[in-house]
Amino acid sequence: MLSRVALRSVAARQSASTALVARGSASGARDEQNFPRPVRGEPGKVRLGFVPEEWFQFFHAKTGVTGPYTLGVGLATYLCSKEIFVMEHEYYSGLSLILMVYIAAKKLGPNIAAWLDKEVDNIETSWNEGRTNTIKGLEQAIKDEKTAQWRAEGQELLMEAKKENVLLQLEAAYRERLMQVYTEVKRRLDYQLEKTNVERRMAQKNMVDWIVLNVTKAITPDQEKQTLDRCIADLSALAAKH
Amino acid sequence: MAFGDYPKEYNPSVHGPYDPARYYGKPDTPFGQVKLNEIGSWLARRNKTPSAFMGACSRAWWSWQHKYMQPKRVGIAPFFQLLVGSMTFFYVINYGKMKHHRNYKYH
Repeated sequence: MLSRVALRSVAARQSASTALVARGSASGARDEQNFPRPVRGEPGKVRLGFVPEEWFQFFHAKTGVTGPYTLGVGLATYLCSKEIFVMEHEYYSGLSLILMVYIAAKKLGPNIAAWLDKEVDNIETSWNEGRTNTIKGLEQAIKDEKTAQWRAEGQELLMEAKKENVLLQLEAAYRERLMQVYTEVKRRLDYQLEKTNVERRMAQKNMVDWIVLNVTKAITPDQEKQTLDRCIADLSALAAKH
Repeated sequence: MAFGDYPKEYNPSVHGPYDPARYYGKPDTPFGQVKLNEIGSWLARRNKTPSAFMGACSRAWWSWQHKYMQPKRVGIAPFFQLLVGSMTFFYVINYGKMKHHRNYKYH
């Protein structure tokens, strides 16, 4: 805990001092026109391998294209002829060295340049890799999120369908129960009807039996005889007619 | 102004990020555009303190760095410039010994 406090105080002191240096006399608005943010440009152009192009441009307006070359050659001639530039033994080894450097630059230069450019690109790609990977990951996450939202919408549809299904089931159960009530009521009514029919039939049968019994009991032998005679008389009357 | 400080004229809120190759004071006529008869007054206007000389060297160094050494795809030009520069430098410092190798009899 104490060590953390000590570190914090050190950090605060450092940031305060660096802020002071960086701020300077803080006043005025940022001048983007005359002081634009420096950008990493292309390398400067040179002629003859090392002489800046600006040197030739400086001469161009005054002396034309050949001016700087004339100056160079004239100066070299002057220096050599007056022997201000002394050509001792090292000068000739220097000439051979320059020749070798020139041949090496012409022969190996393009290959080395291509290889180095490739390395530069590799390094830049490796430095950007984390960022591009993060961007790619985030884009993938957004895509996944959209898919998930689409699926969630599907879930809503599914829920609708399930609710409808439940309603259909409720309807079916309701109708089934209605049917059950109908059949039960019909069974009871049928029972009542059958019962009433049976009672009526039984009552009728008993009544008929009782009446027939009483009628047959009421017929006397005399009456029977009279009826028989009457029947025979009717038969004989019918026979006489035909 | 102590060692390691920014130039007095540099104001971050106006100038933005510090460019070590840039002179933040009041600009004078560039040397390439000075007329011959103005050279005396131009030289008289220069600040000749040691710190100003060191600042000029530092700006020259950084402008060379930014122009030839620090771009993304540099050629062999800055190395040839270093080579030529060092050859000239060592020729100059050894000139007293080279003089003895002169071949002339009559000039």
